[in-house]
Amino acid sequence: MELLKIENLNKKYNNKIALSNISLSLDSGKIYGLLGPNGSGKTTLMKIIAGLHRQTFGDVFINGEALSYKTKAKVSYMPTENFLYDSFKVKDAVKFYTEMYEDFSEENAFNLLKEIGVDTEFRISKLSSGLVGKLKVALALSRNTDIYMLDEPLNGVDVLSRDVIIDLITRSYGENKTIIISTHLVNEIEKILDSVIFLKDGNLELSGNAEELRISHEKSIEGIYKEVYKNA
Amino acid sequence: MEFNNNIPIYIQVMEKIKQEIVTSRLKPGDKMPSSRDYSVELGINFNTVARVYKEMEMEELLFTKRGLGTFVTESSDRVERLRFEMAKKQIELFVSGMRQIGYTKKDMIKFIEMENDYMEGEFKHGIIKNRKSE
Amino acid sequence: MLKLIKYEFAKKYKLISITLIISVLLNLFLITRGEAGSGVFIVFFPMVMSIFYMVDIIKMYSDDLNKKSGYMLFMTPNSGYKIIVSKLITAVIEGLAIMLLYFIFILINGSYIIFTSGNYVNFKDIIYTINHLLSGSFGFNLFHVFMVLLTALLFLISFLTTAYTAMTIRKSIFSEIKFGGALSFLIFLLLNWGISYISSRFFDLLTPYYGSFSMMRPTAAEFTRILLPINAMSIIQSVILTLCSGYLLENKINL
Repeated sequence: MELLKIENLNKKYNNKIALSNISLSLDSGKIYGLLGPNGSGKTTLMKIIAGLHRQTFGDVFINGEALSYKTKAKVSYMPTENFLYDSFKVKDAVKFYTEMYEDFSEENAFNLLKEIGVDTEFRISKLSSGLVGKLKVALALSRNTDIYMLDEPLNGVDVLSRDVIIDLITRSYGENKTIIISTHLVNEIEKILDSVIFLKDGNLELSGNAEELRISHEKSIEGIYKEVYKNA
Repeated sequence: MEFNNNIPIYIQVMEKIKQEIVTSRLKPGDKMPSSRDYSVELGINFNTVARVYKEMEMEELLFTKRGLGTFVTESSDRVERLRFEMAKKQIELFVSGMRQIGYTKKDMIKFIEMENDYMEGEFKHGIIKNRKSE
Repeated sequence: MLKLIKYEFAKKYKLISITLIISVLLNLFLITRGEAGSGVFIVFFPMVMSIFYMVDIIKMYSDDLNKKSGYMLFMTPNSGYKIIVSKLITAVIEGLAIMLLYFIFILINGSYIIFTSGNYVNFKDIIYTINHLLSGSFGFNLFHVFMVLLTALLFLISFLTTAYTAMTIRKSIFSEIKFGGALSFLIFLLLNWGISYISSRFFDLLTPYYGSFSMMRPTAAEFTRILLPINAMSIIQSVILTLCSGYLLENKINL
């Protein structure tokens, strides 16, 4: 079922085009890979959907509803940077999410954090980048909402933590949810993707079912990625 | 399980399950994990597993009981046929490959006997672990 | 809204505690230096604190607009209007708290100075003074005091909304231009220039209104009427700018 509809979306900064005529339809019950090198428009697209940026023109509908502060309740966005308040302890961040998002499961979050080895008494400024990476993903996935957007969840994270993060994402699959993962580390993540969206210089270059693309191109998604961005 | 990303994941998972069926690691009537559990176990997408189950149901290797889950076929005939299909695929590959590099039927048979004797020796000395448990 | 305000304070809980502890320690230290020390504290505390306060309330908003940690706030399903109003309320509460703290310091240091100078605090005198104040025989009463404080508060709010609006404009309409801080300040100056232009026109029109009552020893009612145009101006300015900020946060923001 169509959960996210993007129609003719454009975003300009000054005179630089960040997104150009993007139209997409994303279904629930699927994991999408939003692929492309830095500067291809992945983060801009996610920020627009999350309501942190405004499009120059074009529309985005979540479950038929146009973007506003209300649709923020339907989107669980994980920015790629460490955006958590430095002065907070891990448990304070959990408390913040619990109070700010009605759909956030505090219990689920504490269980996940225990499982992946994040001490809730720790101050966020004292955490290693691997732990911050896991904490951010755990917080984003502990919400129970429609759209999950993880921006570069594997960036700056050690190999073992990457496996943990991929495992968390796989387990979060739900029939009514759409998960969008942006990454340029395609090899690590392609096996959990249903569909992929390739962005290049703000344009939609290629999109489709991952398995069908493997068959039609006779190579891995990473192989297709290399082909698409050969000259980029 | 390690995947080769160049080949569709669902094909690799189907191969793995088929292997397990013909080697009796999965026995007729065994219950398969739910798509969800299996996808988490393999670290792959839920829908990929769902597709595997669907395709293997069409091949009559798996069947679904409503509300109970997915099971391995109870027909030993079907399992035998699967073994035959898999063997046929291997031999086709072998024969066509050998022909391409100029082997005749006679040479091939000789080669097979030689290689088989050699491998049996290795198995005896435990150099190659006996993978066929039956 | 309460939650947002709560987290504004939770974020600066450390800063507040440190400021409080340092102030108390500094005061204790200066008191050991005698009355002069106490006096110095009473004179300089408000000066230093008002600078701290200004920096803090600007930073409170500018950090959320310019640092990654601002995503924490702006990802939550709260409207831009709610966010800007909660910032304003937080800033006002903080200002009032500082004022309260200052009064407590005055009380403590004042008593101390009176005590060390060998005078007894005479409760009769205090009651006498308060009675005089209430009866208005000083030419003003508590209502006058209240009106002055209200006017100051409204002025503070209008100042805050102007500063916040300047930052919002810079982060929405001019989000991709460099030197953000300087640009915000420039927009702030322009806004102030525009506002003072409009208000001077407004007050020009009001000359006959001011001529209608005596400025010497005004009664409470007169005093209210004297301050009315200024206060009305502050309120109108605050409301319009808050709406502007809220609208921009809601529809034009690029974090």
